[in-house]
Amino acid sequence: MRALCWTGVNEVSVEDVPEPRLLNRQDALVEVTASSVCGSDLHLLDGYVPAMLAGDVLGHEFVGEVVEVGPDVRERRVGERVTVCSIIGCGRCHYCRQGLWSLCDNTNPNPGFQEKLNGHASAGIFGYSHAMGGFAGSHAEYIRIPYADFNAFPVPENVPDAGAVFASDAVPTGWIGADLGQVGPGDVVAVWGCGGVGQMAALASLRMGAPAR
Amino acid sequence: MAARLMRAARPARTTWFAVTVQADPSELSGPSRPDALARLAERHEVRVIRAPGGRGSEIAVRAADGRTREEVRALKQLLETGEVLVVEGQPEGRRTALGGVARPMFRQLTRRGPR
Repeated sequence: MRALCWTGVNEVSVEDVPEPRLLNRQDALVEVTASSVCGSDLHLLDGYVPAMLAGDVLGHEFVGEVVEVGPDVRERRVGERVTVCSIIGCGRCHYCRQGLWSLCDNTNPNPGFQEKLNGHASAGIFGYSHAMGGFAGSHAEYIRIPYADFNAFPVPENVPDAGAVFASDAVPTGWIGADLGQVGPGDVVAVWGCGGVGQMAALASLRMGAPAR
Repeated sequence: MAARLMRAARPARTTWFAVTVQADPSELSGPSRPDALARLAERHEVRVIRAPGGRGSEIAVRAADGRTREEVRALKQLLETGEVLVVEGQPEGRRTALGGVARPMFRQLTRRGPR
């Protein structure tokens, strides 16, 4: 299949790579139908995120169709259209149970690097360097989803791919900005930077009661 | 960084490596305890206590070397999720000669590295 690979600082290339396969019993395979370029892809591209290696497949914000599920997947079904969290949670460790998905204890197989650097490792992230687990990304025709029951969410029929894709990363990132800012009814909100995440922070603020003008 | 991780990867006899696991201490002691935990206890001093705040159990292993730390993390993952995540065998583009060497070395260091 074709995939967009990081090949060096500010260099990418579309390469023929092997198709993913189920590696764990709770995995699903998804045929990617939309994969957007996140602002943080730029930090990977320009070498600011450490532990990238030439040949790594980029991409962490995507929508697709489930094409295969592992024997221990209970909720997801072949043929479902899903959006998938950029950040991979196991759904069952202490942090996941608290809703603190990005601190998941079980999805970063390479935790030592961040533990030394930050004191605690983050969860694994698709297409986001080997410090975040070294998971192949979504700028590809197919992608493997670990713990599929917890990370893949069905998309309602009336929501197009271009609308659902942001639920993967930009929506929750913008939402947490508004949430941390404690936006409430009547608040006037200024958002610095009107990219994908900034627009989602503005929309989240509207949902939290900031008046539209 | 690599040198520091290598140094830190050596076990100190007086230090413990501990993880918190969503499991009741009764599941982790006695004859019904998981095989992986029993194997760890053959090589190391292992302590299992109730974790504070209803967080399950703390499994602490004394003088854990890199291999043991990897085993303890795998045990936690197995107990909590029922499987140990595999990342080998995913799609990847052309690796450079340096990348071919660096990736297994990075994995070795970061999986067995200190907490």
